Amino acid sequence: MSLIEIKNLNKSFGSNLVLKDINLTIEEKQVVCLIGSSGSGKSTLLRCLNLLETPDGGEIIVDGQNIMTSNFDINTYRSHVGMIFQSFNLFSHMNTLQNCMIGQTEVLKRSKAEAKSISLKYLEKVGMLDFAYQSVKSLSGGQKQRVAIARALCMEPRILLLDEPTSALDPEMVGEVLEVIKQLAIEGLTMLIVTHEMSFAKDVADVVIFMDQGVVCEQGSPTAMFTDPKNLRTKEFLARVLR
Amino acid sequence: MFFLGSGIPADLLGGSLYIYQRYAPLFWAGARTTLLISLSATVIGLIIGLFVASIRNIRFTPKDSLISKITKRLLWVLATIYIEVFRGTPMMVQAVFMYHGLRQYLMWTPIQAGIFIVSVNTGAYMAEIIRAGIQSIDDGQYEAARSIGMNNRQSMIKIILPQAIRNAFPAIGNEFVVNIKDTSVLNVISVTELFFQSNSVAGIVFRYRDTFLVTALIYLILTFTTTQILRYIERKLDSPKGVGGASQSMPGNFPFLKRKELKA
Repeated sequence: MSLIEIKNLNKSFGSNLVLKDINLTIEEKQVVCLIGSSGSGKSTLLRCLNLLETPDGGEIIVDGQNIMTSNFDINTYRSHVGMIFQSFNLFSHMNTLQNCMIGQTEVLKRSKAEAKSISLKYLEKVGMLDFAYQSVKSLSGGQKQRVAIARALCMEPRILLLDEPTSALDPEMVGEVLEVIKQLAIEGLTMLIVTHEMSFAKDVADVVIFMDQGVVCEQGSPTAMFTDPKNLRTKEFLARVLR
Repeated sequence: MFFLGSGIPADLLGGSLYIYQRYAPLFWAGARTTLLISLSATVIGLIIGLFVASIRNIRFTPKDSLISKITKRLLWVLATIYIEVFRGTPMMVQAVFMYHGLRQYLMWTPIQAGIFIVSVNTGAYMAEIIRAGIQSIDDGQYEAARSIGMNNRQSMIKIILPQAIRNAFPAIGNEFVVNIKDTSVLNVISVTELFFQSNSVAGIVFRYRDTFLVTALIYLILTFTTTQILRYIERKLDSPKGVGGASQSMPGNFPFLKRKELKA
């Protein structure tokens, strides 16, 4: 059984149809990269997956459960699904360690000591251990995003959703963040990544999905997608971004 | 009237000095009541404001049942009525109306009534100040809190409100300063605060001009000192180490935080 099954998913903002009948399946341990021009619905699709956006219709079945039923426990579900934002969204009144601990103590009800040791473990993993007691305001963009990844990992999620994790970064900081994500991919974490970094997608993805105007136009292995795209719109898009 | 005013110098400064020296305990007793009422009412008002602003900020979700939608809407309407009524009528009117209207049920003293009235009045203003503070926080903070599984209440208390209060701190402090001055209207319900005491003194010596110069100066001392203290706290809050919490120590102090080469 697939980990995530999306069936006939629809979403609109007002009269603007953003997602049109999306059908997708994602397997456990797969790394899926979503590509496409802005406004194509990639981010909305990602945000629907942890219900930051409420879909209008269709089904999202995760691990056999339909997450769109009315009595579904959203908060517990979200604690199993990590989310990385383009603008980091670290809690700016806390230091790095507190950012990693708050979810564990509040949501998972872990003890402070346990939460701290787990936080330090994941901060070390992303190379931010030395900054544990620094205010997040003093960090660079790349450092912030690595802390955000550590914060998500501390919840030990089944799935990690990454919404353009490197788009707000200075070019020289993109590498350090992509390295961390790449490491997670090697370790077999299921990830959905909205990205504009084509070479990264080629490198890390098991499946690449191309979206345009709210529709999944094409999906396939990175090799097939980048060397021999079938869909006309995919071809045009790749011709523009790869050059 | 020479027997009453006989010992008092005729000029403004001389008269004021004489009145102050003679009646200083009365003035300072009034000032103490003024501070007691304005400080406690500002704190209580802040708590009311946080509560009311949180109610006004409850979000509707499409999953809400009809009953919870109606409840949320009703709470919102009540909170809005409260804010509009108390911001839209003079505190002096509120004081007279509530003090006399509730006295037969509560048997309260003027000072208790005073604290209550200034509190609910301040609460209405604080609710708006906190609301503005909440709106100044980026939506991403709320989304990030929800995305790690925190519920609406946890997100508000742990993530949004601490930042909102910090952003709104200058406005909150300003409410305190305003309250020091505005408690003077409580003289209409015979609260023995600074204005009421001054009025009594002026009545005794029959020199309003000189007495109220003293009064003005005492108010100025109270507000100026308060403002300076608030500025000091504000600077403390803004300094980078001003964030309370787990530890303020530098990384170097921790034996387990060895610097090492990392793979990632």
